[in-house]
Amino acid sequence: MENKQSSSPASFVDSTVVPGDVVLDLSSMTSQTIKLGGGLRQDCDAISAMKAGTLRFSKPNKYWIESSQKRYVPCVEDTILGIVVDSKADNFLIDIKGPAMGFLPVLAFEGGTRRNIPKFEVGTLLYLRVVKANFGMNPELSCTDASGKAAEFGPLKDGYMFETSTGLSRKLLSSPTCPVLEALGKKLSFEIAVGLNGRVWVNAASPDTIVVVANAIMNSESLSGAQQIIMVDHLLKNIQ
Amino acid sequence: MEVDREDGRSQNQLRPLACSRNILHRAHGSASWSQGDTKVLAAVYGPKAGTKKNENPEKACIEVIWKPKTGQIGKPEKEYEMILKRTLESVCILTVNPNTTTSIIVQVVNDDGALLPSAINAACMALVDAGIPMKHLAVAICCCVAKSGYVILDPTKLEEQKMKAFAYLVFPNSVHSVLPEGSLRVEGEPIENGIITSVTHVDDYFYCLERGRAASVKLSDFLRRNLQQQSTDSSKAG
Repeated sequence: MENKQSSSPASFVDSTVVPGDVVLDLSSMTSQTIKLGGGLRQDCDAISAMKAGTLRFSKPNKYWIESSQKRYVPCVEDTILGIVVDSKADNFLIDIKGPAMGFLPVLAFEGGTRRNIPKFEVGTLLYLRVVKANFGMNPELSCTDASGKAAEFGPLKDGYMFETSTGLSRKLLSSPTCPVLEALGKKLSFEIAVGLNGRVWVNAASPDTIVVVANAIMNSESLSGAQQIIMVDHLLKNIQ
Repeated sequence: MEVDREDGRSQNQLRPLACSRNILHRAHGSASWSQGDTKVLAAVYGPKAGTKKNENPEKACIEVIWKPKTGQIGKPEKEYEMILKRTLESVCILTVNPNTTTSIIVQVVNDDGALLPSAINAACMALVDAGIPMKHLAVAICCCVAKSGYVILDPTKLEEQKMKAFAYLVFPNSVHSVLPEGSLRVEGEPIENGIITSVTHVDDYFYCLERGRAASVKLSDFLRRNLQQQSTDSSKAG
């Protein structure tokens, strides 16, 4: 029933794996330390896949499964867009499209003290950074960067927020710049905030620009680079 | 023993399979599965914070809602929900997201025999689409035993009604592995059994099991190809 694969771990890298596939055999890699990212779990000596996706490897020793979902798995140092759901004495409760609510400490702002606690209404959209994401605990968020400066974090005013998959968010944030954003940026002027949890916020001077940008991004998920540029040209031709 | 089935299939032949994922816009994961004319739609929402009162908060909780094609929800639907819940609990890794609930809603679009196995297959694909961590995929088959003793796979509704007994079998999918063949065999490739509904003879049950296992390999391959195809579609972008 099982297909016999060659015993080198490189055989599964960059190919699609299905939950249950054993992708690495630790008994044949005794003197190395490897780091496992998302989607992989360890079963004694065998590393098997938990999600369906593409197995990726980055030198020297990192393995992970890349897949695109509508829900988010919190990771430390990710920048995300959260929506305020409630405010308690010490924390704001933030919805981050993950399995648990995020906690934003009331003092996690630049120059934050007990006297100048910001008042966020329920439903405010915030650009945040994940500080702690431990197993079984609610993730802790912050509105400052690692050195304590505000650095663009905080509430996003005006504009329009829409939801995408996590895979599309990663593509939008990849460098070099994603073809869709480059093509749009040549003709239109807009401001964009991408959350790795699958939320994107767009702001521009006029509503039609916002709508065009939002539609272009939503359509670009399954297109290749060249197709994205063609799609953007098509959309822009229709409005000008 | 040559058997004449109404649609011209052989004893071990399955009906044409079709599966599509990510068809519902709002659900976090969704899949539609059809075997011949039987079609089932499954949607997954979750994981969401909080578990129900009687559930263990150290594990993830799975909640199943079965929606029949017509009529009100009654005892048969509750039974299907319970069977699906137990099967999916054994397939998912419940310790990854403790104190969360994942809801699976199964909608019957058309029932032409082998309804519960189609629902299990659809629910499994929907869970994969939602990215819920799983130990392996669940592959479900329906076997029927006729009065004269022959066994057929994947019956239609008419065939089901004429049978003496039927068994729904659920197996783990066949895995691709980098381990040398010997080490996986030693475990004995554990079989998960779904539910056995009124099998009257022990011999028949083991015969069904063999046939079912052989067919589960084909279904496994179909699932794998389906997942590869859809992932290459979306990876062409950017």
